[in-house]
Amino acid sequence: MGLDKLRTTLKNKEHILELKTPIIGASGTYGYNDEFEDFVDFNYFGAISTKGMTLEKRLGNDGERIFEVQGGMINRIGLENVGIEAFVKEKLPVLKSKKIDFILNIAGNTIEDYKQIAHIAQQNDIKAIEVNVSCPNVKTGCLEFGLNSEGLFGLTKEVRKEYDGFLIVKLSPNTSDIKLLAKAVEDAGADAISAVNTLRGLGIKIDFDGEKFYKKSVKGGLSGPCIKPVALYMVEEIRSAVNIPIIGMGGISKLVDLFEFISAGADAFQIGTANFINPSICSDLAYELDDFMVKNNFKDFEELKRKIREA
Amino acid sequence: MDKIKNDFTGEIINIEKIAKDTCKMDIFSSLKQAYAGQFISILCPNKTLRRPFSISNLDNNIITILFKLKGEGTEYLAGLEKKDKVKFLAPLGHGFQIKNKKALLVGAGIGIAPMLFLKKNLEKEHIENYFITGFKSKDETIEGSDETVIGGSVLDNLENIIKEKNIEIIYSCGPVPVLKGVCEISEKHNIDCQVAMEKVMACSIGVCRGCVINLKKNNEIIRASVCKDGPVFEGKEILWD
Repeated sequence: MGLDKLRTTLKNKEHILELKTPIIGASGTYGYNDEFEDFVDFNYFGAISTKGMTLEKRLGNDGERIFEVQGGMINRIGLENVGIEAFVKEKLPVLKSKKIDFILNIAGNTIEDYKQIAHIAQQNDIKAIEVNVSCPNVKTGCLEFGLNSEGLFGLTKEVRKEYDGFLIVKLSPNTSDIKLLAKAVEDAGADAISAVNTLRGLGIKIDFDGEKFYKKSVKGGLSGPCIKPVALYMVEEIRSAVNIPIIGMGGISKLVDLFEFISAGADAFQIGTANFINPSICSDLAYELDDFMVKNNFKDFEELKRKIREA
Repeated sequence: MDKIKNDFTGEIINIEKIAKDTCKMDIFSSLKQAYAGQFISILCPNKTLRRPFSISNLDNNIITILFKLKGEGTEYLAGLEKKDKVKFLAPLGHGFQIKNKKALLVGAGIGIAPMLFLKKNLEKEHIENYFITGFKSKDETIEGSDETVIGGSVLDNLENIIKEKNIEIIYSCGPVPVLKGVCEISEKHNIDCQVAMEKVMACSIGVCRGCVINLKKNNEIIRASVCKDGPVFEGKEILWD
Protein backbone atom coordinates (compact mmCIF):
# COMPACT_ATOMS: atom_id res chain seq x y z
CA MET A 1 0.00 0.00 0.00
CA GLY A 2 1.70 3.12 -1.18
CA LEU A 3 -1.18 5.42 -1.90
CA ASP A 4 -0.66 7.87 0.94
CA LYS A 5 -1.21 10.84 -1.32
CA LEU A 6 -4.74 9.73 -1.97
CA ARG A 7 -5.96 9.97 1.60
CA THR A 8 -9.20 11.88 1.52
CA THR A 9 -11.14 13.46 4.33
CA LEU A 10 -14.78 14.37 3.85
CA LYS A 11 -15.77 16.76 6.60
CA ASN A 12 -18.88 18.57 7.72
CA LYS A 13 -18.59 20.21 11.16
CA GLU A 14 -17.90 17.42 13.67
CA HIS A 15 -18.71 14.63 11.19
CA ILE A 16 -15.70 13.25 9.40
CA LEU A 17 -15.28 10.40 6.93
CA GLU A 18 -11.70 9.30 6.37
CA LEU A 19 -11.08 7.47 3.11
CA LYS A 20 -7.94 5.63 2.01
CA THR A 21 -8.58 6.96 -1.50
CA PRO A 22 -11.30 9.16 -3.00
CA ILE A 23 -12.52 6.23 -5.12
CA ILE A 24 -15.73 4.60 -3.90
CA GLY A 25 -17.50 1.65 -5.49
CA ALA A 26 -21.08 2.77 -6.21
CA SER A 27 -24.08 1.07 -4.69
CA GLY A 28 -25.30 -1.92 -6.64
CA THR A 29 -21.98 -2.69 -8.25
CA TYR A 30 -20.42 -4.73 -5.45
CA GLY A 31 -23.31 -6.46 -3.78
CA TYR A 32 -22.49 -6.58 -0.10
CA ASN A 33 -18.78 -6.43 -0.77
CA ASP A 34 -18.09 -9.60 1.14
CA GLU A 35 -17.27 -12.14 -1.53
CA PHE A 36 -15.43 -10.57 -4.42
CA GLU A 37 -11.78 -10.75 -3.50
CA ASP A 38 -11.22 -12.87 -6.60
CA PHE A 39 -12.05 -9.86 -8.70
CA VAL A 40 -11.02 -6.79 -6.76
CA ASP A 41 -8.39 -5.57 -4.35
CA PHE A 42 -10.26 -3.63 -1.69
CA ASN A 43 -7.05 -2.03 -0.44
CA TYR A 44 -7.29 0.59 -3.14
CA PHE A 45 -10.89 1.51 -2.47
CA GLY A 46 -11.84 4.47 -0.35
CA ALA A 47 -14.99 2.56 0.45
CA ILE A 48 -17.71 0.59 -1.17
CA SER A 49 -21.30 1.62 -1.01
CA THR A 50 -23.41 -1.46 -0.36
CA LYS A 51 -26.39 -2.61 -2.33
CA GLY A 52 -29.41 -0.49 -1.34
CA MET A 53 -30.73 -2.00 1.89
CA THR A 54 -34.37 -1.91 2.82
CA LEU A 55 -36.05 -2.86 6.07
CA GLU A 56 -37.50 -6.04 4.66
CA LYS A 57 -35.92 -8.39 2.16
CA ARG A 58 -36.81 -7.48 -1.45
CA LEU A 59 -36.84 -9.76 -4.49
CA GLY A 60 -36.55 -6.90 -6.97
CA ASN A 61 -38.17 -6.84 -10.38
CA ASP A 62 -39.20 -9.78 -12.54
CA GLY A 63 -38.32 -9.98 -16.21
CA GLU A 64 -35.40 -8.47 -18.08
CA ARG A 65 -33.35 -6.20 -15.87
CA ILE A 66 -30.55 -5.05 -18.14
CA PHE A 67 -30.61 -3.26 -21.48
CA GLU A 68 -27.46 -2.08 -23.17
CA VAL A 69 -27.49 1.23 -25.02
CA GLN A 70 -24.88 3.26 -26.85
CA GLY A 71 -22.41 4.36 -24.22
CA GLY A 72 -24.30 2.95 -21.30
CA MET A 73 -26.94 0.66 -19.94
CA ILE A 74 -30.40 0.74 -18.44
CA ASN A 75 -31.14 -1.32 -15.36
CA ARG A 76 -34.30 -2.14 -13.52
CA ILE A 77 -33.03 -4.35 -10.70
CA GLY A 78 -35.59 -2.89 -8.30
CA LEU A 79 -33.57 -2.84 -5.06
CA GLU A 80 -33.21 -6.58 -4.66
CA ASN A 81 -31.56 -7.06 -1.26
CA VAL A 82 -31.44 -9.33 1.75
CA GLY A 83 -33.00 -6.81 4.16
CA ILE A 84 -31.22 -4.90 6.91
CA GLU A 85 -31.66 -7.62 9.53
CA ALA A 86 -29.92 -10.28 7.43
CA PHE A 87 -27.29 -7.73 6.47
CA VAL A 88 -26.45 -7.03 10.10
CA LYS A 89 -26.45 -10.72 10.99
CA GLU A 90 -24.68 -12.23 7.99
CA LYS A 91 -22.83 -9.58 6.02
CA LEU A 92 -21.69 -7.05 8.60
CA PRO A 93 -19.47 -9.47 10.57
CA VAL A 94 -17.72 -10.45 7.33
CA LEU A 95 -17.12 -6.83 6.34
CA LYS A 96 -15.82 -6.04 9.80
CA SER A 97 -13.56 -9.07 10.03
CA LYS A 98 -12.11 -8.37 6.58
CA LYS A 99 -11.76 -4.70 7.49
CA ILE A 100 -13.52 -3.60 4.30
CA ASP A 101 -14.48 0.07 4.45
CA PHE A 102 -18.07 0.45 3.39
CA ILE A 103 -20.93 2.89 3.30
CA LEU A 104 -24.35 1.45 4.02
CA ASN A 105 -26.74 2.48 1.25
CA ILE A 106 -30.32 2.57 2.52
CA ALA A 107 -33.74 2.88 0.89
CA GLY A 108 -37.33 2.69 2.01
CA ASN A 109 -40.97 3.24 1.23
CA THR A 110 -41.78 5.49 4.18
CA ILE A 111 -39.90 7.92 6.41
CA GLU A 112 -40.38 5.37 9.18
CA ASP A 113 -38.47 2.75 7.12
CA TYR A 114 -35.51 5.08 6.69
CA LYS A 115 -35.56 6.02 10.37
CA GLN A 116 -35.53 2.41 11.47
CA ILE A 117 -32.64 1.49 9.20
CA ALA A 118 -30.71 4.59 10.28
CA HIS A 119 -31.31 3.56 13.88
CA ILE A 120 -29.97 0.07 13.18
CA ALA A 121 -26.92 1.63 11.49
CA GLN A 122 -26.35 3.77 14.58
CA GLN A 123 -26.68 0.80 16.93
CA ASN A 124 -24.20 -1.20 14.88
CA ASP A 125 -21.63 1.55 14.76
CA ILE A 126 -21.73 1.86 10.98
CA LYS A 127 -19.43 4.75 10.07
CA ALA A 128 -21.31 6.13 7.08
CA ILE A 129 -24.68 5.76 5.41
CA GLU A 130 -25.85 6.88 2.01
CA VAL A 131 -29.55 7.59 1.81
CA ASN A 132 -30.97 6.54 -1.54
CA VAL A 133 -33.86 8.89 -2.13
CA SER A 134 -33.93 8.45 -5.83
CA CYS A 135 -34.13 4.88 -7.05
CA PRO A 136 -35.92 5.13 -10.40
CA ASN A 137 -36.91 1.48 -10.28
CA VAL A 138 -39.42 1.34 -7.51
CA LYS A 139 -42.87 2.71 -8.01
CA THR A 140 -43.49 4.23 -4.62
CA GLY A 141 -41.43 5.52 -1.78
CA CYS A 142 -37.94 6.75 -2.26
CA LEU A 143 -38.57 8.22 -5.68
CA GLU A 144 -41.12 10.63 -4.27
CA PHE A 145 -38.81 11.86 -1.53
CA GLY A 146 -36.05 12.37 -4.00
CA LEU A 147 -37.88 14.74 -6.27
CA ASN A 148 -39.41 17.14 -3.79
CA SER A 149 -37.30 19.48 -1.65
CA GLU A 150 -39.74 19.61 1.27
CA GLY A 151 -40.07 15.84 1.41
CA LEU A 152 -36.34 15.47 1.13
CA PHE A 153 -35.71 18.00 3.91
CA GLY A 154 -38.10 16.15 6.22
CA LEU A 155 -36.66 12.76 5.41
CA THR A 156 -33.04 13.87 5.88
CA LYS A 157 -33.89 15.57 9.17
CA GLU A 158 -35.56 12.46 10.56
CA VAL A 159 -32.65 10.24 9.50
CA ARG A 160 -30.22 12.74 11.05
CA LYS A 161 -32.03 12.46 14.41
CA GLU A 162 -31.49 8.70 14.41
CA TYR A 163 -27.97 8.60 13.11
CA ASP A 164 -24.85 10.35 14.31
CA GLY A 165 -22.33 8.96 11.81
CA PHE A 166 -21.43 10.39 8.42
CA LEU A 167 -24.68 10.99 6.57
CA ILE A 168 -24.62 11.12 2.78
CA VAL A 169 -27.73 11.74 0.70
CA LYS A 170 -27.72 10.49 -2.90
CA LEU A 171 -29.58 12.79 -5.26
CA SER A 172 -31.52 12.07 -8.39
CA PRO A 173 -30.82 13.90 -11.63
CA ASN A 174 -34.46 13.46 -12.59
CA THR A 175 -35.45 16.88 -11.36
CA SER A 176 -35.86 20.36 -12.74
CA ASP A 177 -33.82 22.08 -10.04
CA ILE A 178 -31.21 20.01 -8.26
CA LYS A 179 -29.96 23.07 -6.37
CA LEU A 180 -33.16 23.19 -4.33
CA LEU A 181 -32.79 19.52 -3.40
CA ALA A 182 -29.13 19.96 -2.50
CA LYS A 183 -29.87 22.94 -0.30
CA ALA A 184 -32.71 21.09 1.45
CA VAL A 185 -30.38 18.18 2.19
CA GLU A 186 -27.65 20.46 3.54
CA ASP A 187 -30.11 22.44 5.67
CA ALA A 188 -31.50 19.23 7.13
CA GLY A 189 -28.07 18.24 8.41
CA ALA A 190 -26.57 15.91 5.79
CA ASP A 191 -22.78 15.71 5.81
CA ALA A 192 -22.31 15.12 2.10
CA ILE A 193 -24.19 14.70 -1.15
CA SER A 194 -23.55 11.98 -3.65
CA ALA A 195 -24.71 12.74 -7.16
CA VAL A 196 -26.02 11.60 -9.42
CA ASN A 197 -28.11 8.49 -9.33
CA THR A 198 -29.21 7.00 -12.66
CA LEU A 199 -31.27 8.94 -15.16
CA ARG A 200 -34.66 7.69 -16.20
CA GLY A 201 -34.34 5.91 -19.50
CA LEU A 202 -36.21 3.68 -21.92
CA GLY A 203 -34.43 1.19 -24.12
CA ILE A 204 -36.34 -0.22 -27.08
CA LYS A 205 -35.14 -2.83 -29.53
CA ILE A 206 -37.20 -3.59 -32.62
CA ASP A 207 -36.36 -6.68 -34.68
CA PHE A 208 -37.91 -7.56 -38.02
CA ASP A 209 -37.85 -11.11 -39.32
CA GLY A 210 -39.17 -10.35 -42.80
CA GLU A 211 -42.80 -10.63 -41.76
CA LYS A 212 -43.28 -9.33 -38.30
CA PHE A 213 -41.78 -6.81 -35.88
CA TYR A 214 -40.63 -7.93 -32.43
CA LYS A 215 -40.17 -5.53 -29.56
CA LYS A 216 -38.01 -5.74 -26.46
CA SER A 217 -37.97 -2.87 -24.04
CA VAL A 218 -36.63 -2.02 -20.62
CA LYS A 219 -37.53 1.09 -18.67
CA GLY A 220 -35.26 1.99 -15.78
CA GLY A 221 -32.14 3.82 -14.72
CA LEU A 222 -29.64 4.88 -17.35
CA SER A 223 -25.95 4.82 -16.37
CA GLY A 224 -22.53 4.70 -17.97
CA PRO A 225 -20.34 7.12 -19.92
CA CYS A 226 -23.33 8.54 -21.82
CA ILE A 227 -24.64 10.27 -18.69
CA LYS A 228 -21.37 11.98 -17.73
CA PRO A 229 -22.20 15.45 -19.15
CA VAL A 230 -25.50 15.44 -17.25
CA ALA A 231 -23.75 14.32 -14.07
CA LEU A 232 -21.06 17.00 -14.40
CA TYR A 233 -23.72 19.64 -14.90
CA MET A 234 -25.58 18.45 -11.82
CA VAL A 235 -22.44 18.35 -9.66
CA GLU A 236 -21.57 21.90 -10.69
CA GLU A 237 -25.10 23.06 -9.89
CA ILE A 238 -24.94 21.39 -6.48
CA ARG A 239 -21.51 22.92 -5.79
CA SER A 240 -22.95 26.36 -6.42
CA ALA A 241 -25.70 25.73 -3.87
CA VAL A 242 -24.02 23.99 -0.91
CA ASN A 243 -20.79 23.87 1.07
CA ILE A 244 -20.82 20.24 2.18
CA PRO A 245 -18.63 17.69 0.34
CA ILE A 246 -19.87 16.17 -2.92
CA ILE A 247 -19.20 12.64 -4.03
CA GLY A 248 -19.46 12.84 -7.81
CA MET A 249 -20.55 10.02 -10.04
CA GLY A 250 -22.05 9.30 -13.42
CA GLY A 251 -20.11 7.67 -16.22
CA ILE A 252 -16.65 7.74 -14.65
CA SER A 253 -14.34 5.24 -16.32
CA LYS A 254 -10.95 6.92 -16.72
CA LEU A 255 -8.50 9.23 -15.00
CA VAL A 256 -9.51 12.41 -16.84
CA ASP A 257 -13.11 11.81 -15.78
CA LEU A 258 -11.95 12.25 -12.18
CA PHE A 259 -10.36 15.58 -13.07
CA GLU A 260 -13.55 16.72 -14.76
CA PHE A 261 -15.62 15.83 -11.71
CA ILE A 262 -13.14 17.65 -9.44
CA SER A 263 -13.44 20.68 -11.68
CA ALA A 264 -17.22 20.58 -11.40
CA GLY A 265 -16.94 20.45 -7.62
CA ALA A 266 -16.58 16.84 -6.51
CA ASP A 267 -14.45 15.92 -3.48
CA ALA A 268 -14.57 12.16 -3.98
CA PHE A 269 -15.95 9.81 -6.61
CA GLN A 270 -18.14 6.79 -7.05
CA ILE A 271 -17.65 4.32 -9.85
CA GLY A 272 -20.63 2.28 -10.98
CA THR A 273 -21.20 0.87 -14.45
CA ALA A 274 -17.49 0.82 -15.31
CA ASN A 275 -17.07 -1.97 -12.75
CA PHE A 276 -19.13 -4.24 -14.97
CA ILE A 277 -16.69 -3.84 -17.82
CA ASN A 278 -13.56 -3.93 -15.70
CA PRO A 279 -14.04 -5.31 -12.17
CA SER A 280 -10.72 -3.79 -11.11
CA ILE A 281 -11.53 -0.28 -12.41
CA CYS A 282 -11.67 1.24 -8.91
CA SER A 283 -8.22 0.02 -7.93
CA ASP A 284 -6.88 0.79 -11.42
CA LEU A 285 -8.11 4.39 -11.16
CA ALA A 286 -6.74 4.82 -7.64
CA TYR A 287 -3.40 3.53 -8.84
CA GLU A 288 -3.39 5.79 -11.91
CA LEU A 289 -4.38 8.80 -9.87
CA ASP A 290 -1.58 8.14 -7.39
CA ASP A 291 0.89 7.62 -10.20
CA PHE A 292 -0.16 10.92 -11.79
CA MET A 293 0.27 12.76 -8.50
CA VAL A 294 3.67 11.26 -7.80
CA LYS A 295 4.98 12.00 -11.29
CA ASN A 296 3.71 15.56 -11.23
CA ASN A 297 4.76 16.33 -7.67
CA PHE A 298 1.39 16.92 -6.10
CA LYS A 299 1.66 16.88 -2.32
CA ASP A 300 -1.77 15.48 -1.65
CA PHE A 301 -5.28 15.16 -3.04
CA GLU A 302 -6.30 18.56 -1.66
CA GLU A 303 -3.55 20.26 -3.64
CA LEU A 304 -4.57 18.40 -6.80
CA LYS A 305 -8.18 19.53 -6.36
CA ARG A 306 -7.11 23.12 -5.81
CA LYS A 307 -4.91 23.19 -8.91
CA ILE A 308 -7.58 21.65 -11.10
CA ARG A 309 -10.13 24.18 -9.90
CA GLU A 310 -7.76 27.03 -10.71
CA ALA A 311 -7.89 26.01 -14.37
CA MET B 1 -0.70 -4.03 -7.87
CA ASP B 2 -2.31 -7.44 -7.67
CA LYS B 3 -4.00 -8.62 -10.80
CA ILE B 4 -7.51 -9.97 -10.76
CA LYS B 5 -7.32 -13.74 -10.57
CA ASN B 6 -9.91 -14.35 -13.27
CA ASP B 7 -8.77 -11.72 -15.76
CA PHE B 8 -7.07 -13.09 -18.88
CA THR B 9 -5.65 -11.82 -22.12
CA GLY B 10 -5.63 -14.40 -24.87
CA GLU B 11 -4.50 -14.59 -28.47
CA ILE B 12 -6.82 -15.71 -31.21
CA ILE B 13 -5.19 -18.63 -32.94
CA ASN B 14 -8.08 -19.49 -35.20
CA ILE B 15 -11.34 -17.89 -36.21
CA GLU B 16 -13.61 -19.31 -38.86
CA LYS B 17 -17.17 -19.35 -40.08
CA ILE B 18 -18.63 -22.79 -39.43
CA ALA B 19 -22.29 -22.25 -40.40
CA LYS B 20 -24.66 -19.48 -41.42
CA ASP B 21 -23.98 -16.46 -39.19
CA THR B 22 -21.99 -18.71 -36.87
CA CYS B 23 -18.31 -18.46 -35.94
CA LYS B 24 -15.85 -20.59 -34.05
CA MET B 25 -12.98 -18.91 -32.23
CA ASP B 26 -9.96 -20.57 -30.62
CA ILE B 27 -8.18 -18.49 -28.01
CA PHE B 28 -4.80 -19.33 -26.49
CA SER B 29 -4.35 -18.10 -22.93
CA SER B 30 -3.04 -19.15 -19.55
CA LEU B 31 -6.43 -20.59 -18.56
CA LYS B 32 -5.88 -24.28 -17.99
CA GLN B 33 -9.04 -25.62 -16.48
CA ALA B 34 -12.79 -25.11 -16.75
CA TYR B 35 -15.91 -27.21 -16.53
CA ALA B 36 -18.53 -27.75 -19.19
CA GLY B 37 -21.26 -25.18 -18.67
CA GLN B 38 -18.89 -22.49 -17.44
CA PHE B 39 -18.37 -19.43 -19.60
CA ILE B 40 -16.00 -16.63 -20.44
CA SER B 41 -16.94 -12.96 -20.66
CA ILE B 42 -15.15 -11.10 -23.42
CA LEU B 43 -14.47 -7.39 -23.54
CA CYS B 44 -15.78 -5.84 -26.76
CA PRO B 45 -14.25 -2.35 -26.76
CA ASN B 46 -16.99 -0.85 -28.90
CA LYS B 47 -19.71 -1.91 -26.46
CA THR B 48 -20.57 -0.94 -22.89
CA LEU B 49 -20.88 -4.48 -21.61
CA ARG B 50 -18.87 -7.66 -21.95
CA ARG B 51 -20.26 -10.58 -23.93
CA PRO B 52 -20.63 -14.01 -22.30
CA PHE B 53 -19.85 -17.22 -24.24
CA SER B 54 -20.06 -20.83 -23.15
CA ILE B 55 -16.81 -22.70 -23.26
CA SER B 56 -17.14 -25.23 -26.06
CA ASN B 57 -13.76 -26.82 -25.49
CA LEU B 58 -10.60 -26.29 -23.48
CA ASP B 59 -7.53 -28.23 -24.40
CA ASN B 60 -3.85 -27.35 -23.99
CA ASN B 61 -4.69 -23.78 -22.95
CA ILE B 62 -6.88 -23.27 -26.00
CA ILE B 63 -10.45 -22.18 -25.32
CA THR B 64 -12.98 -22.70 -28.07
CA ILE B 65 -16.14 -20.64 -28.24
CA LEU B 66 -18.95 -20.70 -30.80
CA PHE B 67 -21.11 -17.69 -31.44
CA LYS B 68 -23.95 -16.48 -33.59
CA LEU B 69 -23.78 -13.03 -35.13
CA LYS B 70 -26.46 -11.23 -33.22
CA GLY B 71 -25.38 -7.62 -32.94
CA GLU B 72 -22.49 -5.21 -32.60
CA GLY B 73 -20.67 -7.24 -29.93
CA THR B 74 -20.52 -10.46 -31.90
CA GLU B 75 -19.86 -8.58 -35.14
CA TYR B 76 -16.84 -7.00 -33.50
CA LEU B 77 -15.57 -10.44 -32.49
CA ALA B 78 -16.25 -11.89 -35.94
CA GLY B 79 -14.13 -9.10 -37.40
CA LEU B 80 -11.08 -10.07 -35.33
CA GLU B 81 -8.25 -12.01 -36.93
CA LYS B 82 -5.61 -14.53 -35.99
CA LYS B 83 -3.04 -13.07 -33.57
CA ASP B 84 -5.49 -10.41 -32.34
CA LYS B 85 -5.78 -10.24 -28.58
CA VAL B 86 -8.96 -10.56 -26.54
CA LYS B 87 -9.46 -9.77 -22.88
CA PHE B 88 -11.84 -11.90 -20.90
CA LEU B 89 -12.88 -13.03 -17.44
CA ALA B 90 -12.87 -16.79 -16.94
CA PRO B 91 -13.86 -19.38 -15.98
CA LEU B 92 -17.17 -18.01 -14.75
CA GLY B 93 -20.25 -19.57 -13.17
CA HIS B 94 -21.10 -23.11 -12.19
CA GLY B 95 -21.09 -25.77 -14.88
CA PHE B 96 -22.80 -29.14 -15.26
CA GLN B 97 -22.47 -31.56 -12.35
CA ILE B 98 -21.45 -34.75 -14.11
CA LYS B 99 -23.27 -37.79 -12.73
CA ASN B 100 -22.38 -41.37 -13.43
CA LYS B 101 -25.70 -41.92 -15.18
CA LYS B 102 -26.67 -42.72 -18.72
CA ALA B 103 -27.01 -39.29 -20.25
CA LEU B 104 -29.00 -37.57 -22.94
CA LEU B 105 -27.51 -34.30 -24.17
CA VAL B 106 -29.86 -31.85 -25.85
CA GLY B 107 -28.44 -28.81 -27.62
CA ALA B 108 -30.67 -26.41 -29.53
CA GLY B 109 -29.12 -23.91 -31.92
CA ILE B 110 -25.97 -22.27 -30.61
CA GLY B 111 -26.79 -24.06 -27.35
CA ILE B 112 -24.72 -26.88 -28.80
CA ALA B 113 -21.57 -25.04 -27.62
CA PRO B 114 -21.33 -26.19 -23.97
CA MET B 115 -22.80 -29.59 -24.85
CA LEU B 116 -19.82 -30.41 -27.08
CA PHE B 117 -17.52 -29.78 -24.12
CA LEU B 118 -19.78 -31.79 -21.83
CA LYS B 119 -19.86 -34.74 -24.23
CA LYS B 120 -16.09 -34.79 -24.33
CA ASN B 121 -15.93 -34.78 -20.52
CA LEU B 122 -18.52 -37.55 -20.23
CA GLU B 123 -16.53 -39.66 -22.64
CA LYS B 124 -13.34 -39.08 -20.72
CA GLU B 125 -15.14 -40.58 -17.75
CA HIS B 126 -16.58 -43.42 -19.88
CA ILE B 127 -20.15 -42.35 -19.18
CA GLU B 128 -22.58 -43.59 -21.80
CA ASN B 129 -24.37 -40.76 -23.59
CA TYR B 130 -26.48 -39.80 -26.56
CA PHE B 131 -26.32 -36.31 -28.05
CA ILE B 132 -29.16 -34.73 -30.01
CA THR B 133 -29.12 -31.26 -31.50
CA GLY B 134 -31.65 -29.13 -33.32
CA PHE B 135 -31.22 -26.30 -35.82
CA LYS B 136 -33.63 -24.05 -37.70
CA SER B 137 -32.14 -24.86 -41.10
CA LYS B 138 -29.47 -26.99 -42.75
CA ASP B 139 -27.09 -24.09 -43.31
CA GLU B 140 -27.13 -23.29 -39.58
CA THR B 141 -26.20 -26.82 -38.56
CA ILE B 142 -23.13 -27.39 -36.41
CA GLU B 143 -21.68 -30.90 -36.31
CA GLY B 144 -20.73 -33.01 -33.34
CA SER B 145 -23.92 -34.75 -32.22
CA ASP B 146 -25.28 -38.27 -32.70
CA GLU B 147 -28.55 -37.03 -34.15
CA THR B 148 -29.54 -33.71 -35.71
CA VAL B 149 -33.05 -32.37 -36.11
CA ILE B 150 -33.35 -29.76 -38.84
CA GLY B 151 -36.39 -27.51 -39.01
CA GLY B 152 -38.53 -29.40 -36.49
CA SER B 153 -38.37 -29.43 -32.71
CA VAL B 154 -35.56 -31.18 -30.94
CA LEU B 155 -38.13 -32.10 -28.27
CA ASP B 156 -40.27 -34.32 -30.52
CA ASN B 157 -38.21 -37.48 -30.27
CA LEU B 158 -36.90 -37.09 -26.73
CA GLU B 159 -39.41 -39.39 -25.05
CA ASN B 160 -38.62 -42.23 -27.45
CA ILE B 161 -34.91 -41.79 -26.90
CA ILE B 162 -35.36 -41.79 -23.12
CA LYS B 163 -37.27 -45.08 -23.28
CA GLU B 164 -35.15 -46.78 -25.92
CA LYS B 165 -31.83 -45.90 -24.36
CA ASN B 166 -32.84 -46.04 -20.71
CA ILE B 167 -31.72 -42.47 -20.16
CA GLU B 168 -31.17 -41.52 -16.51
CA ILE B 169 -30.24 -37.85 -16.81
CA ILE B 170 -30.67 -35.03 -19.33
CA TYR B 171 -28.28 -32.14 -19.80
CA SER B 172 -29.41 -29.32 -22.05
CA CYS B 173 -28.67 -25.87 -23.41
CA GLY B 174 -30.72 -23.78 -25.80
CA PRO B 175 -33.54 -21.24 -25.92
CA VAL B 176 -36.02 -21.07 -23.04
CA PRO B 177 -38.91 -22.93 -24.80
CA VAL B 178 -36.59 -25.89 -25.47
CA LEU B 179 -35.20 -25.92 -21.92
CA LYS B 180 -38.68 -25.69 -20.47
CA GLY B 181 -39.79 -28.58 -22.68
CA VAL B 182 -36.76 -30.65 -21.68
CA CYS B 183 -37.53 -30.03 -17.99
CA GLU B 184 -41.17 -31.06 -18.45
CA ILE B 185 -40.22 -34.25 -20.25
CA SER B 186 -37.62 -35.18 -17.63
CA GLU B 187 -40.14 -34.57 -14.88
CA LYS B 188 -42.69 -36.76 -16.63
CA HIS B 189 -40.14 -39.58 -16.85
CA ASN B 190 -38.83 -38.86 -13.37
CA ILE B 191 -35.23 -38.42 -14.42
CA ASP B 192 -32.66 -35.81 -13.42
CA CYS B 193 -32.20 -32.79 -15.58
CA GLN B 194 -29.64 -29.97 -15.65
CA VAL B 195 -30.05 -27.01 -17.97
CA ALA B 196 -27.72 -24.13 -18.89
CA MET B 197 -29.62 -20.85 -18.95
CA GLU B 198 -28.92 -17.63 -20.80
CA LYS B 199 -29.85 -14.09 -19.85
CA VAL B 200 -28.59 -10.60 -20.66
CA MET B 201 -25.78 -9.92 -18.21
CA ALA B 202 -24.09 -6.76 -17.04
CA CYS B 203 -21.29 -7.72 -14.64
CA SER B 204 -21.07 -11.50 -15.32
CA ILE B 205 -19.63 -12.13 -11.84
CA GLY B 206 -22.72 -12.06 -9.62
CA VAL B 207 -22.67 -8.54 -8.25
CA CYS B 208 -25.20 -6.55 -10.24
CA ARG B 209 -28.19 -8.91 -9.97
CA GLY B 210 -29.06 -8.11 -13.56
CA CYS B 211 -29.44 -11.68 -14.83
CA VAL B 212 -31.56 -13.33 -12.17
CA ILE B 213 -34.12 -16.08 -12.64
CA ASN B 214 -36.57 -17.52 -10.12
CA LEU B 215 -35.86 -20.81 -8.41
CA LYS B 216 -38.01 -22.73 -6.01
CA LYS B 217 -36.09 -24.22 -3.10
CA ASN B 218 -37.76 -25.61 0.02
CA ASN B 219 -41.04 -23.99 -1.01
CA GLU B 220 -39.46 -20.58 -1.12
CA ILE B 221 -38.93 -18.46 -4.22
CA ILE B 222 -35.37 -17.29 -4.51
CA ARG B 223 -33.60 -15.18 -7.12
CA ALA B 224 -30.53 -16.82 -8.56
CA SER B 225 -28.08 -15.11 -10.86
CA VAL B 226 -27.44 -16.92 -14.11
CA CYS B 227 -23.83 -15.70 -14.17
CA LYS B 228 -22.74 -16.83 -10.71
CA ASP B 229 -25.28 -19.28 -9.28
CA GLY B 230 -25.71 -20.75 -12.78
CA PRO B 231 -25.63 -20.82 -15.73
CA VAL B 232 -26.42 -24.50 -15.03
CA PHE B 233 -29.39 -25.20 -12.78
CA GLU B 234 -31.30 -28.27 -11.67
CA GLY B 235 -34.28 -28.35 -14.03
CA LYS B 236 -36.80 -29.09 -11.31
CA GLU B 237 -35.84 -25.97 -9.35
CA ILE B 238 -36.50 -23.47 -12.13
CA LEU B 239 -39.69 -21.42 -12.03
CA TRP B 240 -40.45 -20.61 -15.66
CA ASP B 241 -42.03 -17.22 -16.48
